[in-house]
Amino acid sequence: MSEPAVAEKARAANRGLGFIAEPRTLAWLSVVALLVAWEGIVWAANLNPIYLPAPSGILRALIDLFRNGGLGTDLVITLWRIFAGFAIAVVLGVAIGIWMATSERMRAVADLYIAALYPLPKITLIPLLIIWLGTGGPFMLTISALGAIFPVIINTVLGIRQCDAGLVLAARDLRANQSQIILKVLLPSAIPSIFAGIRLGLGVSIILVVAAEMVVGKVGLGGRLFLAGQVLETEQVFAVLIVLAILGIVVTKIQDVIDVWLGHWRID
Amino acid sequence: MASPATAIDLQSIGLTFASRTGVPVVALKDVSCRFEPGKVTALIGPSGCGKSTLLQIARGFLAPGAGRLRYLAADGSESPRPPEMATVWQSFNLFPWRTILDNVAFGLEMIGVPRAERTARAREALARVDLAGFEDKFPRQLSGGMRQRVGLARALVMKPDVLLLDEPFGALDAQTRLVLQEQLAKLVEESGTTALLVTHSIEEAILLGDTIFVMTARPGRIAAEIAVELPRPRSLATTHDPRYGELFDRIYGLLRDEVVRAMANDREAG
Repeated sequence: MSEPAVAEKARAANRGLGFIAEPRTLAWLSVVALLVAWEGIVWAANLNPIYLPAPSGILRALIDLFRNGGLGTDLVITLWRIFAGFAIAVVLGVAIGIWMATSERMRAVADLYIAALYPLPKITLIPLLIIWLGTGGPFMLTISALGAIFPVIINTVLGIRQCDAGLVLAARDLRANQSQIILKVLLPSAIPSIFAGIRLGLGVSIILVVAAEMVVGKVGLGGRLFLAGQVLETEQVFAVLIVLAILGIVVTKIQDVIDVWLGHWRID
Repeated sequence: MASPATAIDLQSIGLTFASRTGVPVVALKDVSCRFEPGKVTALIGPSGCGKSTLLQIARGFLAPGAGRLRYLAADGSESPRPPEMATVWQSFNLFPWRTILDNVAFGLEMIGVPRAERTARAREALARVDLAGFEDKFPRQLSGGMRQRVGLARALVMKPDVLLLDEPFGALDAQTRLVLQEQLAKLVEESGTTALLVTHSIEEAILLGDTIFVMTARPGRIAAEIAVELPRPRSLATTHDPRYGELFDRIYGLLRDEVVRAMANDREAG
């Protein structure tokens, strides 16, 4: 066979299986390949499921936990804790951020506390918060809010202070009063930055709520994960991890959609 | 009831800034000028002569360090209330997250005009600057010249007694400038509003102004007051009028000395 003919044949084969090279397809195919390999190795090596359960076993455990084990309730409890605390953080954080950005005194005072508290790993506050608040709802909401509030405050201040001074002058010229300037100019211009803070904050809230649940070890995904680990139910441990991973994907994708929607005026 | 103010009178205005080096900078010194009702007054001068600062003082956004700012009614009597003013900015200052229509309606929204009415008035204002059909676009989707027409519509929709134009065409290319100058001249003539134009373009000052104040380099002072007695409506054809040439040469002569002096000052300062 001549060389051009070989090349032609390779191209034809490429065209036939070309869809595999498509990035999205490739990503999913890699997941499938990993699962198949995993399943195969567990069966071939006859591994004890306490160390590494097979994907099929994990899936069974997952379905069983949702049907009979109350995993759905745990998921709802954890979601509520994350988002209720996070919502408090967004409202308070934006308000404090606006205040700091518009008042030099407030900024001077708050800067000090933020400099001290922001770099502090919030997880180290769990023992103290349990002493103060117990292990129930108030504790969970506080730890979730604490995780999210600093990135929200910092990004709100940043966004507002980056607002073009000309826009504020133009608004004043068009008879806007101080609160109108805040609501109609400073806040909208800071939205992209605030949303970046919200993104960071929500990630921290998720981490902290799950960690706090693991420490408390009662209900919620973190509690379930911890308890399953204690009794060497490795399949259940993996099942909870999968739920957490899917939660992460869903949250990230929703944020992407909101990002595009908020930035619609930036598209040329 | 006192008639509403339509003119601004500045007497012996002075302003000194504290500079970073600690040496106070005299931005304006003993500036007296009057912006007559229903007339276009142009302020022209070298960069940094304080003409935009003077505009901010007239607007009431900046308190003068010395002198007196008075608002006058059409009959020349002093008015306790400032006139309604609206500004067109060199950098447009449109709100990028608002549509063109919402940008134009911004001022009406601030003073509580109901939505239906402000939308109708904003549409009408956009039509007057030939931008009907662009209501739902965002500023970023428009060219510089179109954006400044939005800026003009946004100011005119407030029906200001005094229109402040702060180097409105400074950021635009020469051709767009010419077209917009003609359009602006027409709009101002029609509306009969008092207008205050800050510019460094001699052509713009002559085409639009009834009176031109030529300012000196820092400290800013009034070097000359020149009446422009060219017939209206003025257009590009006006520039062929021999009187236009005389005015241009006279202003250029005044400015040239000032620019040379300003450059010498900069060298000393630098």
